[in-house]
Amino acid sequence: MAKAWAIFGSVSSLTIAAVLVGAILLDPSDWPAQIRDFTERQGVADTGAINLVSSIYLGYRAYDTLGETIVLLLGVLGTLGLVHVGEQFTGGAVRKSLRTDFLNVASGKLGPIVLVFGFYVMFFGHVSPGGGFQGGVVFASGLVFLAMGSRDAVYSPLVRSSFLHRLEGLAFLLLLLAAIIGVFTNVGLFGNLARQLGLPPAYFIVLLNILIGLKVGSSLGLLCLILLEKAR
Amino acid sequence: MIETFILIERILVGAIFLTGFGSVIFDSNLVKKIIGLSLLNSAVVILFVLEGSRIGENTPILEPGIENVVDPLPQALVLTAIVIGVCVTAFALALARHLYISTGTFDIDRIRSQVHDEN
Repeated sequence: MAKAWAIFGSVSSLTIAAVLVGAILLDPSDWPAQIRDFTERQGVADTGAINLVSSIYLGYRAYDTLGETIVLLLGVLGTLGLVHVGEQFTGGAVRKSLRTDFLNVASGKLGPIVLVFGFYVMFFGHVSPGGGFQGGVVFASGLVFLAMGSRDAVYSPLVRSSFLHRLEGLAFLLLLLAAIIGVFTNVGLFGNLARQLGLPPAYFIVLLNILIGLKVGSSLGLLCLILLEKAR
Repeated sequence: MIETFILIERILVGAIFLTGFGSVIFDSNLVKKIIGLSLLNSAVVILFVLEGSRIGENTPILEPGIENVVDPLPQALVLTAIVIGVCVTAFALALARHLYISTGTFDIDRIRSQVHDEN
């Protein structure tokens, strides 16, 4: 009897979801073009970034980016806390490694190349597809490569959890400073400081991209290393 | 009226969304439910980018000579949504791992019966 109710509930919730999704998807209204026209005209002059997506999330709406780095920070802290509570139950976790020598050698040697690519995506996020978040994720995958390629005694200093914690905290602190300095120099929160100093405004976008990329990369890298049980 | 091409793409996105939703409801393995959550997130991201692409033709990178770009605003908005989806998936996987360590199984029915027996 309980099983019949469960199946009835599941099927009815799926049909309700299908009706709601269908109502959204069969909407024939036009997509408004004002934002596209505005950023196409003003985006490069206001923020200095050719990549219009970067000009939106680092220039016009940089405050949302700050909120989202806070969400990432809290998510990583919550997951770390949960993993540590789980380890108290077993006194160290089950360790099953499916590593072969080829995997170690290949991923260890590829690690620095992936890190360089991550930095490229971070630095050039304002003129090509990419940016802080994308570069940060590639940076995190480079850290996972380095950790997978390490043997039991030899660890690259980049994948120590103390280093990644400090890098994440430092990048977040510098991001907050970059946001707040604008308030004291009469430009407003997240105002473009480079214009004050006489530099092209793209310098500020590049700085924000680098800080966001380092923060996201160290956060996600630390998260992946702890879930893979390779963090030292 | 909507053109058929956009309609077909929207129906495919709806299919991905309903697949993820059905996986969260009907599957009894915790890891498959988490995969369903990730599918839900991906479907919404693709829908935003798809809708923004209706009004232009080129990628929104203004190299000299490029005009008539697609709408860059939905792409900037879903960037945040992707990162939040990663955080939610990571937290859900940590919870599933904790459940596995405590109860020894990923199956939600056996976990529920174990919790009922302990109470």
